[in-house]
Amino acid sequence: MENIIECRNLTHYYGKRLIYENLSFNVPRGRILGLLGKNGTGKTTTINILSGFLQPRSGECRILGEKIGEMNPFTRRKIGLLIEGHVQYQFMNIEEIERFYASFYPNWKREAYYELMSRLKVAPHQRINRMSCGQRSQVALGLILAQDPEVLVLDDFSLGLDPGYRRLFVDYMREYAKAEDKTVFLTSHIIQDMERLVDDCIVMDYGKILVQMPVKELLGTFRRYTAQVGDGFEMQEIPDMYNPSVIRQTLEVFSMHPEDEVKAQLSLLGVNNVQAEHVGLEDAFIGLTGKY
Amino acid sequence: MIKAIFYKEWIKTRWYLLLAFVVSMGFAIYAMLRISRVCSLKGVDHLWVVMMQRDAIFVELLQYVPMILGLILAIVQFAPEMHHRSFKLTLHLPIRATKALASMLSFGMMVLLLTFLPALLLMWGYLQTILAPELYWHILLSVLPWYLAGVAAYLLACWVALEPTWGRRVSNLVIGILLLRMYFLAPAPEAYNEFLPLLVIVTLSYSLLSVLSLTRFRDGRQD
Repeated sequence: MENIIECRNLTHYYGKRLIYENLSFNVPRGRILGLLGKNGTGKTTTINILSGFLQPRSGECRILGEKIGEMNPFTRRKIGLLIEGHVQYQFMNIEEIERFYASFYPNWKREAYYELMSRLKVAPHQRINRMSCGQRSQVALGLILAQDPEVLVLDDFSLGLDPGYRRLFVDYMREYAKAEDKTVFLTSHIIQDMERLVDDCIVMDYGKILVQMPVKELLGTFRRYTAQVGDGFEMQEIPDMYNPSVIRQTLEVFSMHPEDEVKAQLSLLGVNNVQAEHVGLEDAFIGLTGKY
Repeated sequence: MIKAIFYKEWIKTRWYLLLAFVVSMGFAIYAMLRISRVCSLKGVDHLWVVMMQRDAIFVELLQYVPMILGLILAIVQFAPEMHHRSFKLTLHLPIRATKALASMLSFGMMVLLLTFLPALLLMWGYLQTILAPELYWHILLSVLPWYLAGVAAYLLACWVALEPTWGRRVSNLVIGILLLRMYFLAPAPEAYNEFLPLLVIVTLSYSLLSVLSLTRFRDGRQD
């Protein structure tokens, strides 16, 4: 399958602090890839590199086959960008901003924008800086739908949105991306939203990628194991078992390995009557990255 | 696309453009009314004598007006772009970043031209009715560096506003203030005459400084 976004060996530092080293990933055409990670693991850094607002220390990214730093301005017509916090020109109203952007995009879909705007309870001349965060998110989404780009880069689209607006955004985006075969790269700190929206995920920890796979595969293989253990039990580090913890004599550990193998390994440590269960994406994320 | 950039700049600055025009014209009209009052009270010949013997130009109150107007224009135009870093939106448009910036600066320069030129024309129009060419050119050439200071203040403030880091922004601000001092060093009328063509070139070259800030913004420089 053709890769629309390709990043190779990205390494970046802020001062002397390493954000990540040799990060590589691809997003094939028509897929929605979500980047998950705790604060400070480099999600926004990656988005900034992808949108050309940050020069990585080394490595390169290509979108639609073009190096980001040397991208032809007309290629940017095919890339929709949502900046963290749904930032838009605050000094414009919904008519002015539509008129402004329409000049840049030959395939501008005015009706798609106004269809979404008709749901907002705002006056046509109300300026964007007087709108709620939820209303601003709809303006930003409407502009992206009207632009009709091939690739969408969305930075923390959930930020500041209440559950209703988040659900509206996710459902609209999912339906649009699937119906129009769009490629989407996004981050969000609300993992439940990602579960509804993304096909593939990358889970990042400080300085590295922990997991990169389709969400269905992750949720199909990743399990939480719990068992009762005696006082003073200390779980030793076992490869491919993530973040073991003991709280009030209950052992909890996560793994992607087959259930029989994990239970056998735990049995060798004297842990029996192990319960295994599948988890949602949020618990899988916590299982992979730890609670703290 | 440049038309669309102008449209965006117009939305940001339309009220300020009106205010700047009124202030600029207001000060120029007031300065001319003062001269007119001197003429009506003491006669034009007195004005000529004072101008020649005491080197007076009667328009000193205009000295810092263009600089302040230029400075505020840069803030009105670029502060909304730096708020939440929405300048990223401009840089993501399908247009070369330098072209987008040049369009924004060109718009600002046009606004200044539309603000300053009518004031200068008003002074030229009125003064030539009461003064000899040598005397009204003496006044106009004396005020010209102040209007150039208005353009310089605008371009230097754009350079400061677009800079992405606070540390560099402060050092740019200090350099900008020192450069602006250059326009007010010589208090004597027509002190800049020899230097005026070079001053025009130096002033316009400040527009290149914004390209440095743009490059640093695109490289993702942070404090």
